[in-house]
Amino acid sequence: MAGDVGSIPELDQKKYDSDEQVKIICLGDSAVGKSKLMERFLMDEYRPQQLSTYALTLYKHTATVGNRTVAVDFWDTAGQERFQSMHPSYYHKAHACIMVFDVQRKITYKNLANWYKELREYRPEIPCCVVANKIDADLKVTQRSFNFGKKQGLPFYFVSAADGTNVVKMFREMIKRAVDYKQNPSDFMDEVMQELENFDLEKKEDNSEADDDGLTAESPDVV
Amino acid sequence: MRFKAKRCGVLFSPPSIVLIYQHTETKKVRKRIIPVRNFSKYSDYSMAAERLKNHPRHRDYLECVSQSQLEKLHIILRDHMQGFSLEHSLASFHLDPDEDLNKLDDEELTRKKGQMDELFEKNRKRKDDPEFVYDIEVNFSKPVLEKCSWDEESDDEF
Ligand SMILES: Nc1nc2c(ncn2[C@@H]2O[C@H](COP(=O)(O)OP(=O)(O)OP(=O)(O)O)[C@@H](O)[C@H]2O)c(=O)[nH]1
Ligand SMILES: [Mg+2]
Repeated sequence: MAGDVGSIPELDQKKYDSDEQVKIICLGDSAVGKSKLMERFLMDEYRPQQLSTYALTLYKHTATVGNRTVAVDFWDTAGQERFQSMHPSYYHKAHACIMVFDVQRKITYKNLANWYKELREYRPEIPCCVVANKIDADLKVTQRSFNFGKKQGLPFYFVSAADGTNVVKMFREMIKRAVDYKQNPSDFMDEVMQELENFDLEKKEDNSEADDDGLTAESPDVV
Repeated sequence: MRFKAKRCGVLFSPPSIVLIYQHTETKKVRKRIIPVRNFSKYSDYSMAAERLKNHPRHRDYLECVSQSQLEKLHIILRDHMQGFSLEHSLASFHLDPDEDLNKLDDEELTRKKGQMDELFEKNRKRKDDPEFVYDIEVNFSKPVLEKCSWDEESDDEF
């Protein structure tokens, strides 16, 4: 079962095991502004890849962290409920998570609890943050404190995709945390998946050896 | 940007999109009526909006009208072709802050986003604005933060 988790035929998720690749997911209810935030951060740089069957938009970005160049894949997901079954593939191998709510709609804040619970089922340890978007609509909200995530020590950002407030800062910090996490992963799930994948590979190797044997058995005739 | 959109609306017959715009240099305000061709009650509003946005004769004028704004106008036109009143269309754009938008289908969600776009476009800082800054940081941590009422009822959840 675990082997199926996260398999999207169009996408090779194995690449996220390599050192120079990180995967950051963006979660939250419909219309909280996840896509607008991505677009504001990446401006014209992005060339998103749409995978509509998976309700997924993939943005590729190159970042410099310290003196290293890292390829960042942002997975911008859809909040709609009918895509719930796709969620495991979003979480699979993710190195950081950006959780967004809309300061104008309380329900999107309340729903963070569900998003967070689900995230932790799949990725118990990856860095995560809480983002309060659309503060341009009512700057007064920034006087209030939002306590979700405080207990878990999640960083909190007041942002606006419209006027750009704190968008770049938030993304840069999350990229950095994704890279740090990657160098020092503590998620048990990662290792399980890794083992499962190795297991598959071994099986394949066995098969190819069998084929090789078949060949060598015939080759004396050729020589 | 040569033209700045001031307002837009629709004409039902013939189906058209009306744009009030200002010429950025001369500051003259003009009206442009853009006929919406090959659009029926069965058409895809999103593709039609995209086609119009990229139309060689109109795209310069529509540069600062967002895709979702154009989608919204097409939805109003199509609703009319399907026999719905303008009141009905406008009501469908109405935002109820307590509604769970995760449960809506694509078209219903587009209607809500079309509504949200009005404020978004109004507050938006664009790259070609002279005062545009890519990385704007504002520190909001105040010494005394009001407690958020959103946390009150069900603190135990968190
Ligand atoms: N005022 C204001 N409106 C915003 C802001 N960010 C997004 N919006 C509005 O919110 C609407 C929804 O934003 P999206 O980026 O499409 O939301 P999303 O989270 O990607 O939604 P799904 O992909 O459907 O889950 C947009 O059409 C904008 O009108 C913001 O910072 N300020
Ligand atoms: Mg989106």
